[in-house]
Amino acid sequence: MPNLDGGHYFFTALLPIDNHGIIEHGPFKSSAVHMVRDALEALPTALQTPESEKIGIQSPFARSLRTHFVRIFVVDAPTYNGRDSIDTLLATAQGIDPLKAQAVDRLACPYLAFVAEFDPAGDGAEEPRSWLEELWRLAKPELCSVLQYCFQFDGDGDGAAFADFVIKGQIETTMPFNDYWTITPPLPNLAGVELIAPLIGAAALAALVSIASALGVIVHDHWPWPAGLGLGVFLLVVLGVAFIGAALFYDYNLINRRGAKPFPAAPNATLRHVLKALYLQQAFTRFAAAQQATSPAELRAAFASFAATVRPDDLAGPTQPAGVVRSHFAPEPLDA
Amino acid sequence: MRELDLADIQGGILRAYGRLGFPKGRYFFLTVHDGLKGRRFVEHLRPRITTAARWVDPKRGEPLLRTHHPKVTDAIREKGIDDYPGVVELVKPKVAINVAFSFLGLFALQVPTRTLRGMPDEFIDGMEKRAPMLGDTPWLDKRDAIWRRASQLQAQAQVHVLVSMNAEMDAAGAPVPELEAETQWLLGLCAASEGGVELLPGNGPSEAQYQDMSAVLRDDGGKLAPSNKEHFGLSDGFGDPVFVGQYGPKAEAIKRVGGGKLLPDQTWAPLATGEFLLGHPDEAQEIPDAGLPIEFSRNGTFMAYRKLHENVASFANYIKAQGETYARVMGMDDAAKAQATVSAKLVGRWDDGVPLLAAPDFDAWKAFQARLAAAQQAADKVKLAEIALEYVNFTYRLDPAGATCPVTSHLRRVNTRDMLDPHFGAKDPKSWMGSALNNRRRILRRGLPYGAVDPANPTDEGEHGIVFLAVCSSLFRQFEFLQQQWVQYGLDFNSGSDTCPIVGNHDENAKFVIAAEPSGEGAPFICERVPQFVEPRGGEYFFVPSMTALRMIGMGIVDPT
Repeated sequence: MPNLDGGHYFFTALLPIDNHGIIEHGPFKSSAVHMVRDALEALPTALQTPESEKIGIQSPFARSLRTHFVRIFVVDAPTYNGRDSIDTLLATAQGIDPLKAQAVDRLACPYLAFVAEFDPAGDGAEEPRSWLEELWRLAKPELCSVLQYCFQFDGDGDGAAFADFVIKGQIETTMPFNDYWTITPPLPNLAGVELIAPLIGAAALAALVSIASALGVIVHDHWPWPAGLGLGVFLLVVLGVAFIGAALFYDYNLINRRGAKPFPAAPNATLRHVLKALYLQQAFTRFAAAQQATSPAELRAAFASFAATVRPDDLAGPTQPAGVVRSHFAPEPLDA
Repeated sequence: MRELDLADIQGGILRAYGRLGFPKGRYFFLTVHDGLKGRRFVEHLRPRITTAARWVDPKRGEPLLRTHHPKVTDAIREKGIDDYPGVVELVKPKVAINVAFSFLGLFALQVPTRTLRGMPDEFIDGMEKRAPMLGDTPWLDKRDAIWRRASQLQAQAQVHVLVSMNAEMDAAGAPVPELEAETQWLLGLCAASEGGVELLPGNGPSEAQYQDMSAVLRDDGGKLAPSNKEHFGLSDGFGDPVFVGQYGPKAEAIKRVGGGKLLPDQTWAPLATGEFLLGHPDEAQEIPDAGLPIEFSRNGTFMAYRKLHENVASFANYIKAQGETYARVMGMDDAAKAQATVSAKLVGRWDDGVPLLAAPDFDAWKAFQARLAAAQQAADKVKLAEIALEYVNFTYRLDPAGATCPVTSHLRRVNTRDMLDPHFGAKDPKSWMGSALNNRRRILRRGLPYGAVDPANPTDEGEHGIVFLAVCSSLFRQFEFLQQQWVQYGLDFNSGSDTCPIVGNHDENAKFVIAAEPSGEGAPFICERVPQFVEPRGGEYFFVPSMTALRMIGMGIVDPT
């Protein structure tokens, strides 16, 4: 699957950490990777739980109104699952000595995994560069605290240099996470006939050519009919295999092409849409509660006033701020 | 090969403090009454913790000439090879401070359940509960008060935290003044914890606030110097395991000989890192068990703390008596010679550490000593480097019956090298398996003697012995197996229920057999009624966290999900 999927950009980068030397930091003398972890653990998360709400310090990534999430963590070593397992008899037959240690994969250095989902600008052709530059503008001090021990990181550079640095470590996202479709999305479809038609066509073509050739040599070139029939059968086999093979190859590519089609974007699924929707849900619940047992006329007037206040179609209008678990309303928010 | 993250690993694991210029020690045991205050205490302690990062020791003497016995490490330095991995960026501290936690300590500090439940059973049990298997049951009532008080699960005086301080020594043989300063700082930190953390007294008969430790000192030309002796008068600490990452590649090539594992082709290789540090593959090509997340375990390890009292008079008297009998039976004219021989047979090394495999009899030992003295006299570093290797570079292949080094001697039990190779006696070298059955039973031995003994007037009573620390990634598989199967039992050596002649439990019929060469004329000698030489005085199992895990514990952010 591609980086750009479901209308969102799924970004993955692995940034190597220069873990040489001792870093003196206040009273500590630590390794670089230890300092990276320290910075990561001190980085505030979004205020999305009652516990973190109490802390009240917002995640720097909530400053970006197109960032759905950012997750950063350290990868010390590849996951190790022990020896490659093999059937005992097979191992004995192959002379594999179980006492002999197998090689263990190691990383040359620890890596910082930088994973994010964000709304691409325009059609996404400028991404991830434009998003990274925005991030640099909005959260440079925090990014520096985490990335300062990465190879080739320059804390004094501009947004373009930062984007260059991170993109160098980008790898393709193969497992994006989509959660914005509330109805069945228009998934790419592949009808059976689309696959069968080329096969039938190929078979028919092979048969046609074979029959024509057989008739041609018998009628036109006066071959004895058994020889002509023999040629026909021979051609049918050869061409049948070749044409049907080509058709299968075409089908295979068709399936792959169709499968590689990006998941369609859900309607109203940018972060700003989502925030607006969350705001509306909460505001409407309060409105509904306040309007219980009112007359239809009063309700109609109140709803007009409600709609005018919350401006449902206006993303720039009242909305929920990024990075919080709920909207906070003034005591009487709808009286305006 | 990627280097170990030295600044993440606590000091005292890669380095043996006692042998590296820290001959003095104080071990403090604390209990945590309040999780939050306890974590605050950990956070204050954290910046003072000594790591395995490489340092320079400005006072380190000239290689091979600086110590009484030449060391392999020095042989490496003499060649201009780094004897420690990493780059020097720090100066050696005067006092090395480290910290470890018991299972109940981690629980008191509110480490999440999911992390705790990943911990191994024996660590959760603690040393007291494992007493029947370790052979400690007869000695439980003789433990120091601190361990007896901690024994109930509901006790207010459970041992939760071990803070260790290892210090340099001044010319008068006393710890450097910085040790007392750090002690006062630690006491202040406990006092400032508002009852959150309490220092537990009860070490030794005087109820001391800490376990005091010191190397046995020797007079070195009018100056006191730390020795590698313990109170029986035996030199100790030669055969420590060598594992991947502990040294640079060049130093490793030398150190692994005799210290690593013996491969089937009879060459030596370093042991897998995971035998001694959690989170790395071990000899079975598995990651050793410990708590999640992996960052909590990685670069940490487990440690058994054991205070072992030494019955010095019993040992001296027994060696004397057996020496006399041995001289009579074997037709030896010199009782001193016979005593030294009996002692060496029990231990596997002569009292200065020369292995029996390098010097099979008294005369050979004297020749070894003469060779060493001559090389030292001539400052012949090439010779000294060769001699240094002889202390560790041997196998048991040429001594299958134990006629040179008895199969049940202390040395041969605790590090069986190639002795348990199932094809030990096979003619075809291709079937040999080296030290395969020993590779998962190795421990890093750390620790120091405690108390003092007057060699002219040795007594069993009093406060003297060894604080024995066994560092390994599985206490169950390594330390406990060693203790149960190879120290307190003898079947693996075809010796029935005979226990280790030095540190094993000895009942009234305890015996030790000095074998004779089966093809020769000589008869074996049986040392009868071996008295109890060593008695445990208490101890506990501890988790030694990495600096990363220590920060997670202190900050209260262990996230096992």
